[in-house]
Amino acid sequence: MAQGVHRAGYAFIAPAVFLMIAILIAPVLIAAALSFTDYSLGNSGFDWVGLENYDRMVSRSTYTKMLSATALYVLTVVPASIGLGLGAALLINSVKRFGDIYKTIYFLPVMAALLAMALVWEFALHPTIGMINGTLSAGCGTWIESLLGWHWLPWADDAPSWFENGCASGFPLWFGDKDYSLWTVAFIGVWQAFGFNMVLYLAGLTSVPRELYQAAAMDGATTAWDRFRLVTWPMLGPTTVFVVTITTIRSFQVFDTIEAITQGGPAKSTFVMMFAIYEKAIQHNLMGMGSAITIVFLGFVLILTFVQRHLVERRVHYS
Amino acid sequence: MNNQVHPVREAIKHAVLILGALIVILPFYVMVSYSLKSPHEIESNTGGFFGAQEPMVDEYCVKLGNPRDACVETPVVYNYTQAFKKAPLLRYLLNGILVTASIFIIQVLVALPCAYALSKLRFWGRDFVFGLVMFCLLIPVHAIALPIYIMLAKIGLTNTYASLVIPWTISVFGIFLMRQFFMTVPDDLIDAARMDGMSEFSIIWKVMLPTAVPALLAFAIFSVVAHWNDYFWPRVAITGNRDLYTPPLGLREFKGDADGSIWGPMMATATIIVTPLIAAFLLAQRRFIEGITLSGMK
Repeated sequence: MAQGVHRAGYAFIAPAVFLMIAILIAPVLIAAALSFTDYSLGNSGFDWVGLENYDRMVSRSTYTKMLSATALYVLTVVPASIGLGLGAALLINSVKRFGDIYKTIYFLPVMAALLAMALVWEFALHPTIGMINGTLSAGCGTWIESLLGWHWLPWADDAPSWFENGCASGFPLWFGDKDYSLWTVAFIGVWQAFGFNMVLYLAGLTSVPRELYQAAAMDGATTAWDRFRLVTWPMLGPTTVFVVTITTIRSFQVFDTIEAITQGGPAKSTFVMMFAIYEKAIQHNLMGMGSAITIVFLGFVLILTFVQRHLVERRVHYS
Repeated sequence: MNNQVHPVREAIKHAVLILGALIVILPFYVMVSYSLKSPHEIESNTGGFFGAQEPMVDEYCVKLGNPRDACVETPVVYNYTQAFKKAPLLRYLLNGILVTASIFIIQVLVALPCAYALSKLRFWGRDFVFGLVMFCLLIPVHAIALPIYIMLAKIGLTNTYASLVIPWTISVFGIFLMRQFFMTVPDDLIDAARMDGMSEFSIIWKVMLPTAVPALLAFAIFSVVAHWNDYFWPRVAITGNRDLYTPPLGLREFKGDADGSIWGPMMATATIIVTPLIAAFLLAQRRFIEGITLSGMK
């Protein structure tokens, strides 16, 4: 029997091993090699260009803008979607009724095709026929404008507020304005991602032992903030490490909203890495440059994953 | 910890949660509402949620030489019929089903035997293969998209159904998940099957598969949701051949037409694409949340 088992084992792993090498490992090696070339599809050969592609990434303004747009996007979406996910989980966990209904609603964006929802958001935020700007301008000249003028606040000065500026000279173009586009796209990213984080935090919360709260109360932790700071937050540590990693990796991969709405513009303000790979390599046939961006992206993801593993292991050691 | 409910605090919590829910639902509201309205109502932002549903004249239909009376429709009928007429939406939906189903089936055919071998069979190199699986878990699919595209282009496979499926045939995550699950299946069960003269191959499909149904279902949800909604890879792999478009690619085409009357049908298409998964999610929430957050087990 033992002999048969051996041979069957090899037969069972063979397809998977072949595909892992052909579809996962070989492509990474190919991308790494091509990133040092000026390869284009259709050309018979290519030249080795050394580090030129990587050099461009830090010297050409297109690519420095790409790196800063990606960094800004990630650094906005990750904290915001985690903060909102945690906040929603804590609130849902603490209300007596209807918690499940909120949970269901907040999870809906995770299920919906992001491309479809991106097009809907673009439409809702359309400068002329969109309902967001329509609703905002409906508030002009009413009590809403006075309220959002903020002049009733004792410390307010006479400078017109954001809302008053909008009423006077039109509300933002959102995706069409380079000062707003990245934030608006990031908003959609947060809208889509925070429900996922919320579910993970809700799962994490169920594993916090109740006795810890009683013990903390005996030690004088009376306010909700104390309970959160001393018990909930430390106990959610492993969940947070995981949530930060997966949200960061996913934010690096943002593509659908950018391709469908802004195409990286205006003025490269939303030119994120995944879209850069698509535009440079697939559309402009600059495979070398696309590969270099791919390798930088892969580098970011691997560093993140190793940091995560390190944190997880350290936790295990000291607990 | 006090367990009594403070009514004011409770009310504030609900107010915050409801505000959040409204923002989350807003685009879904816009999508469904605009799929019901006439072009005029959409442009003037009137008509409430359902629109007035006043019969409207389809100008394009008139241009085709039909009598005016025959071209009168209510907006909701107009939008949803146009969704199927302006683009072969039915074909896109079938493509989506075909691609998503093929991916899942091939993933299972590849992953189950491998997971079984890694968890229940002893052979030289097993730990190495498992190490390979763990290593491959680190590789994000977006990082291999470009080289895979080059490889497919080299062998002339771009713009085929195969190109939509091939990169996803191997799910190292699926192997890892099923292996973890099989580790919990008692060896006695397998030994008994061997006594009965079952081959290793039939043990996988007749003994292991039935025990793995819950894990497999979660993985199915994970896989189907990801690939039905995927836009990045189809955008890369399919350039121009509309017959191969998946639903998100088909929806994206609407943006090319700047014509204002397209908004209603476009929102109708979006509704049709988004509804199946949302409906399934609402019917089996637990399973879906389990499936989608599966990657949390990595």
